[in-house]
Amino acid sequence: MCSIAAPEVFGSDELGHATVLIPGDVPAELHRKVRRAQANCPEDAIIIEE
Amino acid sequence: MTTLEENAGPVNDPTTDYNIFDPEFVRDPYPTMHEIRESKCPIAHSDRWGGSWLPTRYGDVVAIAQEHEIFTSREIIVTPRPAGQVEGPYAGVAAPPISSDPPDHHWHRRLILPVFAPQSVAKYEQGTRDLCNQLIDKFIDRGEADAGTDYAQQIPVRVIATMLGVPIEMSDEFTSWVRGVLELGLTDPKVRLESRLKILTFFQKQLEDRKQNPRENDLITDLLNSGDKYPVTDQYVLGVCNLMLVAGIDTTWSAIGSSLWHLAQHPEHRQQLRAHPDLWPTAIEELLRAYSPVTMARIVDRDTEFQGCPMKAGDRILMSFPAANRDPRQFENPDDVILDREHNRHVAFGSGIHRCAGSNLARLELRVALQVWLERIPEFSLIDPASVTWAGGQVHGPRICRVRF
Repeated sequence: MCSIAAPEVFGSDELGHATVLIPGDVPAELHRKVRRAQANCPEDAIIIEE
Repeated sequence: MTTLEENAGPVNDPTTDYNIFDPEFVRDPYPTMHEIRESKCPIAHSDRWGGSWLPTRYGDVVAIAQEHEIFTSREIIVTPRPAGQVEGPYAGVAAPPISSDPPDHHWHRRLILPVFAPQSVAKYEQGTRDLCNQLIDKFIDRGEADAGTDYAQQIPVRVIATMLGVPIEMSDEFTSWVRGVLELGLTDPKVRLESRLKILTFFQKQLEDRKQNPRENDLITDLLNSGDKYPVTDQYVLGVCNLMLVAGIDTTWSAIGSSLWHLAQHPEHRQQLRAHPDLWPTAIEELLRAYSPVTMARIVDRDTEFQGCPMKAGDRILMSFPAANRDPRQFENPDDVILDREHNRHVAFGSGIHRCAGSNLARLELRVALQVWLERIPEFSLIDPASVTWAGGQVHGPRICRVRF
């Protein structure tokens, strides 16, 4: 789900498990997409540190 | 307590006597779910169909899904098999990993996940698009079609047959076997057993064939050859094939059918999708939320109290993902389909360790099926809303759904 909402930030490994693609801080222009990914993650697995 | 006759009769209070196969509940379960959810017993109980609990609030369904040590997956079908039914050589064959509990669950799931990863299922997109176009070619000149049997029903079975490397020409037989297990068989133990034996006998022959003639890039061959990594048995491979057929067909077919049924009645949503194609990802999630097809069962491992309910070892719990996904505590205006819904942590694919392994494939099929339909048939409506027929119980969705265009 996160890789659909924010494909620039989230990908998936060979098992289909989510991975974070970019190291460090998320660029400001992607914040909205990441918040959307967070709000839609069915496992509530995304934590945003600000 | 396994037949329709034994379990028929009017339901006075759904919190103590719900009947998941009541014709009205099968057609439109949401009012009953709301009644239970807002009552003093949001986790209802009924003695019908061998007895079960029915949690209807999002938080309870998710909590039970996460507590997999107490709420086990040793049986996942919503009605029990009759005691003493003889299954012959296939008695131990289940449907791993959905029917597995830890610790085996881990490797049962690990082995099949790679074929369902987003990058793996992407290769089925063009084939699915071609298939959808071919199906529409057959009826587009008629000006009407059955969106259920002519279209939705035909798509997932062919995608799954392709994945499993089994003959696509047998699609009608596969469909009939799966309905025998998940629809008709739930209220008719004889049909359920016969259908199950047909599926397992068919796949046993496929296994024998792959052992004699191994294939390249073939799921069954690859699973059979995974013994160096995990303790793979024929019974496991047979179970996986069983699961992929049974779980991969009726479910996605129902999601496609429900979505078309919805779009047939909502010209504003057809228009919205045409004008804003960037809405597709959220629209797909919203349709999955509002029309979640699947209810799974759990079996209570040991006596436990959950939210004040005294659950006994062996009790069955119906994990109504459709009810959870319409809980106003979790979703604003849950009965409205809002194609650009911002917050949608739906559990159409379940939650926790048994979350649907095929969700990426299901999403792809649903999106492509709806996109191709709307490209070819932008305007359509139900011919007779009252004549739409529905399946329910384990999987909820329309079966006959005639539309004109």
